[in-house]
Amino acid sequence: MTMANPTKPTMANLTKPGVAAGIVAILIVLPQLTDSGFAITVMSQIGVATIFALAFNMLLGQGGMLSFGHAVYFGLAGYVTAHVMNGMASEDLPYIPVTLIPIVGGFAGLFFGILIGFVSTRRAGTAFAMISLGFAELVTALTLIIVFFFNGEEGVQTDRWIREEMFDITYGPDIQVYYLIAVWCVIAAIAMYALTRTPFGRISNAVRDNPERVQFIGYNTHRVRWLAFSLSSFFAGIAGALHAVNVEHVGFETVGLGQSGVILIMVYIGGTGNFAGPILGAILVTLLNSYLSDLTPAWYLYLGLIFVLMVMFAPGGLAGLIMMHDPIRRARPRLLLTMLPAYAIASAVSLVALAGAIGLIEMIYFLSTTTTRDSAMILYGIALDAADFRPWLICIALTAAGVCGCVRAYPRMAEVYNSALHEARRQVAS
Amino acid sequence: MTSAIELTGVQKSFGPTEIIRGVDLAIKQGEIHAIIGPNGAGKSTLFNLVTGRHRVSGGRIALNGEDITNRTPYQINRKGLSRSFQVTNIFARMSVYENVRCSALWSMGYGYAFWHFVNRRRDLSERTDMVLEQTGLTSRRAVPAGLLSYSDQRALEIAVTIAGGANVVMLDEPTSGMSSSETEQAVALIRDISATRTMVIVEHDMGVVFDLADRISVLVYGKIIATGTPEEIRADAKVQEAYLGAEAS
Repeated sequence: MTMANPTKPTMANLTKPGVAAGIVAILIVLPQLTDSGFAITVMSQIGVATIFALAFNMLLGQGGMLSFGHAVYFGLAGYVTAHVMNGMASEDLPYIPVTLIPIVGGFAGLFFGILIGFVSTRRAGTAFAMISLGFAELVTALTLIIVFFFNGEEGVQTDRWIREEMFDITYGPDIQVYYLIAVWCVIAAIAMYALTRTPFGRISNAVRDNPERVQFIGYNTHRVRWLAFSLSSFFAGIAGALHAVNVEHVGFETVGLGQSGVILIMVYIGGTGNFAGPILGAILVTLLNSYLSDLTPAWYLYLGLIFVLMVMFAPGGLAGLIMMHDPIRRARPRLLLTMLPAYAIASAVSLVALAGAIGLIEMIYFLSTTTTRDSAMILYGIALDAADFRPWLICIALTAAGVCGCVRAYPRMAEVYNSALHEARRQVAS
Repeated sequence: MTSAIELTGVQKSFGPTEIIRGVDLAIKQGEIHAIIGPNGAGKSTLFNLVTGRHRVSGGRIALNGEDITNRTPYQINRKGLSRSFQVTNIFARMSVYENVRCSALWSMGYGYAFWHFVNRRRDLSERTDMVLEQTGLTSRRAVPAGLLSYSDQRALEIAVTIAGGANVVMLDEPTSGMSSSETEQAVALIRDISATRTMVIVEHDMGVVFDLADRISVLVYGKIIATGTPEEIRADAKVQEAYLGAEAS
């Protein structure tokens, strides 16, 4: 008898028809709930980031390749798309509906992925990472040299409103661009998920786990990595094209190390070991980027702190933290309720520590960057004088109290988790 | 009949050190051939040369009459030679099932295909189930390979080696580190899979060697000093002096 494949799909919940329909419903309804143009722009950015993050995780999570320069394929595809749209507007190029323009970006990404990937995927591990860094620097330098294509520091402007497409779509209003991105995001996510379940996808996992042994089961590891790299670049290119359509401008920063670093941070925070991880990371980091950067100039510092804390304490990322609880949920969902108090206490003391630490960081940042000699500032909506010792004292006290609480609460939380897990395993076994 | 594997004057040096000093060896079709010898004799190196892990410094290696000298491991594997490793060498984060299925992919013609779903291929799942059954891993199929017990990992090592259906299989110390009851199981498994294949094994456990092997070759300091049936090897004066004697002292 042939049993069904027992390997648990990593996106089991997302592929259930009900959940998938729910996600699509949310994607359709969400922009209707707001009048804010900014919110819709943010949602569009999340869509672009999601495609890019999933593409990046084809390398990092599925194929075990750490790239420091994957924005090259995102950015180059963006440039190509901008030029193609400009060519279409001036009628130098045959017209393609903007709806289908991400395909152009995808093939641009694929082209550069095949070309550069052939070299960079010859080696894995550190050598691959270093080569990816080298190509990122190289392409960034080229943006300032090859002016007719990259247009130097100014970048390439474009206009997505070329002519009316089917159903009166012009891509003038942001909401239409949002739906364009949402549709492509769903298509790309389904395609990338499907890829994980093909012979190529599985052998890519095998190369990640043990490249040496793969050679002894008949596979050329360079070919596997090259193919993974090229396909990943294809999807990064789709994201790059949508980025160009969304912001109507492509600059040298889109191919650079900064952009490559952000996508790495996104994917790592979301979790590389789970298909849905990069989606979580893309949502969280884009939201922080959009809203936190308005609240505080120190937001990059906070992003860095989150990243470091994740790497140190939760290397599985957000998705890893969630999936940790899956065996317990499957065995006995009620066990999760018994864990809540310990989790609540840990969260509370973390918030106290965080409130204190953020206060300190903000005051230091304020004093070191303020141009006026004035030390009056607003922290947590409270007007205070940063030169006064009292707010400092309060913040230090909060931080110290919070950290002391964490030192006690976290081991307790781990204890509760372990005993629940033990209990769940016992129930499954019996 | 052409030999399954034929080595002619094979040499290997690492820098100035000559590890394999001119080995001539013919493995017959369908036999179980054991290679024994004291530590450092070059048994594992010989394995690595035949399977393409290392390049030879001189000489010629043929598989079923076809020259495979200095081919890459995957080229040699595609011609029907598969090997296991002394130190377990599996895909730790993947399930037992996935390990075996991946190992069957190439030989079943799936290559780098990204247009098939692995779950929908019946031939693939049938082959995988068969290999799991044969190696006694059916009940462990969903377990991540890295979490298996040691003896199960050794069984998986063999499952990964044979899943591609290679007709020549080389096992590097398949029973190392096993208890006597585990060794017994492993021997039964090796005998079972040898029914349809040519096997070459490196093994330290002399009980296993003399029990399993049709013929034995003795490798001492990079040279084969004797090849023959277990009885011939037992009776060989050179072997007793150079190998069995050396081990006793």
